Amino acid sequence: MTGHRSTTRLINGLLGGWTVAYLVFLYIPILALVFSSFSDSRLLTFPSDGYTLCWFGELLQKQDFLPAVWSSFIVAFITMILATILGTAGAIAWMRYSFRFQTTFRVLSFLPILFPQLLLGIMMLLWFSVLGNLFHFSMGLVTLIIGHVIYASPFVLIIVAVQLYGFDESIEDAARDAGASNWTVLRRVTLPILWPGISSAMILAFLLSWGNFYLSYSLNGTERTLPIFIFSGIAVGSSPIYPALATLNFVPALALVLLADFFRRRAARKV
Amino acid sequence: MTPHKRSLLDPAVLISSGPLTVLLLLFFLGPIVLTLLLTFQETEFYRLQWAWSLKTWSGVFSNPTYWTVIGRTLMFSVESTVICLLVAYPVAYAMATRLVQYNHHIVILVAFAFLTDAVLKAFGWVLILDKNGIGNWLLAQIGLGPGVIDFLFTPSATLLGVVYSLSAYPLFTIYLSLARIDRDLILAAQDAGAGRLRIFWTITLPLSKPGLLAGAVLVFVLSLGTFLESKVLGGGKSPLASELIRQTFETRVNWPLGAALTTVLVVLASAALAGLGWLLARQNRKGAAE
Repeated sequence: MTGHRSTTRLINGLLGGWTVAYLVFLYIPILALVFSSFSDSRLLTFPSDGYTLCWFGELLQKQDFLPAVWSSFIVAFITMILATILGTAGAIAWMRYSFRFQTTFRVLSFLPILFPQLLLGIMMLLWFSVLGNLFHFSMGLVTLIIGHVIYASPFVLIIVAVQLYGFDESIEDAARDAGASNWTVLRRVTLPILWPGISSAMILAFLLSWGNFYLSYSLNGTERTLPIFIFSGIAVGSSPIYPALATLNFVPALALVLLADFFRRRAARKV
Repeated sequence: MTPHKRSLLDPAVLISSGPLTVLLLLFFLGPIVLTLLLTFQETEFYRLQWAWSLKTWSGVFSNPTYWTVIGRTLMFSVESTVICLLVAYPVAYAMATRLVQYNHHIVILVAFAFLTDAVLKAFGWVLILDKNGIGNWLLAQIGLGPGVIDFLFTPSATLLGVVYSLSAYPLFTIYLSLARIDRDLILAAQDAGAGRLRIFWTITLPLSKPGLLAGAVLVFVLSLGTFLESKVLGGGKSPLASELIRQTFETRVNWPLGAALTTVLVVLASAALAGLGWLLARQNRKGAAE
């Protein structure tokens, strides 16, 4: 059996190695950006002469990126709220009830994920231009938010639907038997049980909007979100300022992913 | 869980499904219908004319340049799909069978990389792939001659970027279907004396097919819309369909033509999705029959 055992070891080693290699692959460009943001050379070439914090200083002095951060934040925050409400409600309609046209509803509410985002953005751009001509409005924060909500809601829907899948409804019936109204049951029983799913879905919705390029690229009008700001910046010419901005951008994303994980663990402990 | 049979006009159904439906009808289906309508209009002196005609469509079908670009995009999507599956399958397999105790950490690591701003990640790859960039510097450090990495601003760089951004999709779909496989089935096959390879070919691979198919279609459809990677990493010498479409809208200001090209791509994507639905339904029927 030694031959058998050594092949097992070989297969385990290959699979483990491949997984590690994949994770390294995922972090290569991210580490490259962080590395470059501390690099002491104006052209983004290697090897660099030394390490410095000056790009962060320059970034904070210039401050031209701040409006973009602010727009990104507003859009992501409102998207998060709206997508969470719509997605959670949609998940309940997916899983709890059965009604006529439910399949149509399921297909429709899932389709935005399966759509190439750039094309979706272009189609919405056409739509908003025609509507804008008719009703005299121009594109900006509102159109950005609508686009992001349409894109993020299906993701929320899936996560909450998964949470609903293992939901024991007798708990709700028990609360109702004890005299609770439907609203109280929803607020005190259903939503707290679904909360682990909803909270991670919220964070996901925020991050999907925060990092969105494809939809924003068509729907931004004169507004610039952070990805658009960076895209137009690197199109003009690379500068070490952008890696520095990237590094600053990673911090909140990392914090949010860890926060989602914290919620999930706490929920897992409770059960 | 047994779903409650409700009428469509039941308040609970209306409240839960209504708002999302209205939003999607207004801002998702609306734009799709408008795009279709626009393909039957004309343009004159950069202005849209609402005059019903088939001129745009006959232009699309008679100009081989468009089809070269669309063909290239299709080829590109096939390539990226195959590579994504090959990259993701072993990782998903390892997560489902070998690294179960680390799954949770792997998911977080993948999710963070996946959710990071796509523009930044593409830019990060430029820093790596640049001739004087980090990649070549590192390779030179370990003794592999200078200038080994020399494909920035070529289609290969676009492919790398797309595999990078989309491989997480099949990773999760394949993992989900692998994790659902009943361990007893595999143990039973082992007891019956089946070899590893045979177990993989006859049990594991067929049972993970739904995840493979779903992941393949997701990557295929999403890479049809590749734009960022080809713009930042690809150098633009052999443009993909999305660049052509953007250009038609931006520099040629030809809405009907742009809408028609968008429609062609969307039809291709829908065909792939419909194919997936058909295959999954067939698989389900087969599973039910057995």
